[in-house]
Amino acid sequence: MNELVLTLGWLGIYAPMALGAAASAIGCSIAGMASIGAMTETEGGYGRFVGVSAFPSTMVIYGIVIMFTLNRDVTPENAGGLFGIGILSGIALMYCGIWQGRACAAAINATKEKPEVFGLSLAPAAIIEGFGVFAFVFALVISAGIS
Amino acid sequence: MSDPDAYIALISSLPGSERLFVAKQPPLSRLRLERRLTALTAEDARVLKALEHALNWGGYDMDVTDAQAIERCKEALQSTPQPTLRKILVERMDLRTAVAALRLRKQGGSPPSGVFGMGRWSRHIPENWGDPHFRLEGAMSWIKDAKQLLEAEDPLGLERLLLSVSHKQLKRHASRHYFDFEAVAIYVLKWNIFDRWAQSNAQDAAKRFEHLAQQAMADAADIDFEGAYA
Repeated sequence: MNELVLTLGWLGIYAPMALGAAASAIGCSIAGMASIGAMTETEGGYGRFVGVSAFPSTMVIYGIVIMFTLNRDVTPENAGGLFGIGILSGIALMYCGIWQGRACAAAINATKEKPEVFGLSLAPAAIIEGFGVFAFVFALVISAGIS
Repeated sequence: MSDPDAYIALISSLPGSERLFVAKQPPLSRLRLERRLTALTAEDARVLKALEHALNWGGYDMDVTDAQAIERCKEALQSTPQPTLRKILVERMDLRTAVAALRLRKQGGSPPSGVFGMGRWSRHIPENWGDPHFRLEGAMSWIKDAKQLLEAEDPLGLERLLLSVSHKQLKRHASRHYFDFEAVAIYVLKWNIFDRWAQSNAQDAAKRFEHLAQQAMADAADIDFEGAYA
């Protein structure tokens, strides 16, 4: 039984990093596909498209920081806490990354037609980034209570 | 439900559909559109072809019968699994059925018995043949205008009204699809409307040109060509 509990603890430590990486990969690929498509239709502004498509890469950075914060000797006493915080923050980051990628793709598609809406079209992606930051910060705060 | 991210690059590589209607020059030729559509999977390409085959009047022979047109639409409906595209097909069939009924009645045709055309109103229309608008004003707010244009013998105006109604229907469905196959199919159907619209404008221009040419030829009789009698 103890082995299972310890395994879950280790799973919790690595989950934010793994799920954050998956989130960034999927999000960047979604936004990247939109930027490639937009490049074939427009005559300039390619750098902006590529820059926007890199937005979801922050999720893996948050995941790495959470992983290092949770990283400690896993004991039967702290394994449950590590698992809960790690898995849930990882899932939150994953959703944020994927949906941020979709929001960036929509922003790129809109900017292609109307370059003047570039800044405003990024607002949804920025708001989603805010939710990712919430998941990140409070994972750090709550992890301070784990022995 | 299609994969919501299936055609992100394809949709992003197409000019906005609204731009099709405001541009002086077509921003996307059929050739370029076809080239972009090579990104579709074989299955999606087959569905799109069936959809266009049924909805695009350009694909019909001049002597096509009602039965053949209905059969073609039924085949398209069977081969289209996406609920949104099926709804679009049914709505377009409703529109065509109502307009065909208006035309038939104007030509003095006798009330059809049983079923007329295809779609949700195929039984309703024969039952309400005596009503000026087949009691469809609620479901089809445009039918009054269509009847007026038909009676005013304005085929171009009627064509534009129907294209505008079809475009509004597509816009309504497009608001729920961004990067999936339905979004691609709706874009192509909008492009077809734009193409018909542009053709009707070209026909309008041709008529005007003919009128001006006739006027010029009438005036030509009075022109005294220099040296003609020398």
